Amino acid sequence: MTLITDSFIGGTFLKREEPNWLAVLKISMPLCLSYIPIGLACGILLHAAGFNFFMTLLVSVVVFSGGAQFLIASLLTINAPIISVVITLFFLELRYALLGSSLSRYLKGQSQHFIWLFSVSLNDENYAVNYLKFATDKTWTPRQALMVEHYSLLSWSVSNLIGSLIGSALTIDLEIVDFALTALFLYMIVMQIRNRLTLLISLLSGVLAIAFMVWTKSTLGLVLSTLVASFIGFMIEARIRKSKANISEHWLFRKVRGPAATRKTIEDKSTES
Amino acid sequence: MENILSNIPVLAGTVVNKMDSWDHLVLIILAAIAAFIPRYLPMLFFSKREIPEWFNEWMKYVPVSLFTALVVKGIFITTAGYHFVPLGHVNQIIAAIIVIVITYMTRSMALSVISGLIAVFVLTVFL
Repeated sequence: MTLITDSFIGGTFLKREEPNWLAVLKISMPLCLSYIPIGLACGILLHAAGFNFFMTLLVSVVVFSGGAQFLIASLLTINAPIISVVITLFFLELRYALLGSSLSRYLKGQSQHFIWLFSVSLNDENYAVNYLKFATDKTWTPRQALMVEHYSLLSWSVSNLIGSLIGSALTIDLEIVDFALTALFLYMIVMQIRNRLTLLISLLSGVLAIAFMVWTKSTLGLVLSTLVASFIGFMIEARIRKSKANISEHWLFRKVRGPAATRKTIEDKSTES
Repeated sequence: MENILSNIPVLAGTVVNKMDSWDHLVLIILAAIAAFIPRYLPMLFFSKREIPEWFNEWMKYVPVSLFTALVVKGIFITTAGYHFVPLGHVNQIIAAIIVIVITYMTRSMALSVISGLIAVFVLTVFL
């Protein structure tokens, strides 16, 4: 990344270094802006679930996960016990084990304190920004990655706080705001579907989720369907990898492309090369 | 699972109607721990060692499976009693299709969520 911009000073063009904080802020901007509406909705929903503005601010800083906070709000409105909320949340957040471990190779040699600081404010969206930067930009440093996390955290928590404050002034149909969670997850599903097998596993998980939830009468069904469906996906892929040299030729691994799929992901690059 | 939970007197008794700010604080602290462990431990562990390939390959399918399960729960499962209602929320089904199309076309998180909220609002009012 070159941070040099031309500026016209004293009649001559001078190469001027853009300050680091500003350069990183520019990279974080799309993410920070997209957090505003979702953060507002989340704050409104948490307010409706009984959180006061301080609790909403606190949860948005220490949990910092749209999905998790929406889940807290919607489980509280159906009077779920605390333990049940926390267990469901834990399984929801388990995906960060994957995200964290995939970023960890770029954080080799960092201090324990830095790893702690970095993992506290890791989430889906700033992960996506940082992963792409690390993979495509050799000059991208862990410090700058941490700065992206902090900018997004700031935008998220302020939006939550404002949502919580305007939530008390509004009367809102909860079912409607609650749909923000479903929409957020649908967005993440569509963004994750790269080939036919992922689509198949997604559909399988949906069917299993219905079966397991009706059977267990609890959110435990979510966990079971996730574990079973992801394991089946893993097994199918392992089997195909054994029998085929180039898995991208297999019909299950044909790409599912969207019209706006212009952003090249790391997975695309590794399968192409 | 719910039966086991109701045997824990303190926690099972704290529901939203009776919850005060202290209960919320306890919930937030526990939630923060639940959110922190999966983010921290693997990162700490793997910033020193290599990640086993099979673990990565398996975890690759976890997010998409979980997100689908959560969407299905939101649209097709009743919150009270966990019954399967295929057409219980037609407004949400139509809005979900709109969200999928918008995401597919734009790949923008904010646009997808906002259009979903508008769609479900309009459909709830007019259906």
